[in-house]
Amino acid sequence: MSAFTNRYTFLYVTILVLIITVLLTGVYFGTKERQDANRTLENASQILKAAGYGVDKTQVQQLFEEVAEIKKTENGKEFYSVITPKKQQSFVVPVSGKGLWGPIWGYVALADDWNTIIGVAFAHKSETPGLGDKITEEDFLKRFVGKKIKNEAGEFVSVSVEKIGQKTASDINRVDAVSGATITSKGVEEMLFNSLKEVVK
Amino acid sequence: MKKYLGPLNKENPILVQTLGVCSALAVTAQMKPAVVMALSVMVVCACSNFIISLIRNTIPPRVRIIVQLLVVSALVIVVDQLLQAYLYDVSKMLSVFVGLIITNCIIMGRLEAFALSHKPIPSFIDGLLNGFGYGLVLVVVAFFREILGSGTLWGYPIFPDSLYAAGYLNNGLMILPPMALILVGGIIWIVKR
Repeated sequence: MSAFTNRYTFLYVTILVLIITVLLTGVYFGTKERQDANRTLENASQILKAAGYGVDKTQVQQLFEEVAEIKKTENGKEFYSVITPKKQQSFVVPVSGKGLWGPIWGYVALADDWNTIIGVAFAHKSETPGLGDKITEEDFLKRFVGKKIKNEAGEFVSVSVEKIGQKTASDINRVDAVSGATITSKGVEEMLFNSLKEVVK
Repeated sequence: MKKYLGPLNKENPILVQTLGVCSALAVTAQMKPAVVMALSVMVVCACSNFIISLIRNTIPPRVRIIVQLLVVSALVIVVDQLLQAYLYDVSKMLSVFVGLIITNCIIMGRLEAFALSHKPIPSFIDGLLNGFGYGLVLVVVAFFREILGSGTLWGYPIFPDSLYAAGYLNNGLMILPPMALILVGGIIWIVKR
């Protein structure tokens, strides 16, 4: 025991922390470029997926440049103008919010009436495997296809994500939630409401 | 040899030492995340055991937990960053587990109980087998939860549609964490009986 003086302990921890800091910083900057490239590619493939393309990783970049174009609303929010595989005009709006454990985000492809949903794609950082992470699966995403974000009176209401059987909105403005993942599902609902209202008049 | 095989029966981390139950509840709703988590814990437990064992004689005992935590989190973060750069698809699946792995008490437990007092190679093997013993329980629990809760196995449906048509329903309770606790409890009961 006596070999470990206070001085030694302080020095030991300080040096260890320094080594780890340098290591982590090195790894971060060393891989940043590749990570960013991966993320850009991932976003592009999500935008295309929302618009209805079955995406092959190797062709994402090329396809994205062909059919998508970045635009801005009057209040400066970004969205993408994308030609769908059926040659329709669609507007893909980025959405972001928070789930149970961390951020969730995604893209909503609207038809040119700014109302009908053509498709959606979601992603998450750390939702529970097997429960909350189901929001990225096809089974959940396809529930949004054809839904509308305005009610019959033409007011913006977004899409409610509700427990199976619960109905506070009309069928055209609601989807079933992921069972067992109430908070993540509510997170999706809030994310859609908050992000879409910024872009849709 | 005998001292290494403990985690697989008499000293299983979850069943006998009741360590790592928290993460066992979180990732066992389906088989796929359970297997991924099991593999990750095996790798991290083995590597951190190895590193800590290498520096075990230099660690001041009063701050050893802090040192262990630093080494484990640095290890996990470096691996996560490298995956994000070079194996993006794998990293998307694994990033969820990073927090769960760093705070997994099996890893800390093995560092304390084994790596601090043994040589690097035996420590590495001990970490690997403890991770395996942990993973085994995860996979068993996930097997039952996925079949009964979602009606699938590894994501593929296993019950014919006619069964659902006849009124069969997936048990929603199975995919919620409390049911995992009951299953783990049940397995402990059978093992310790």
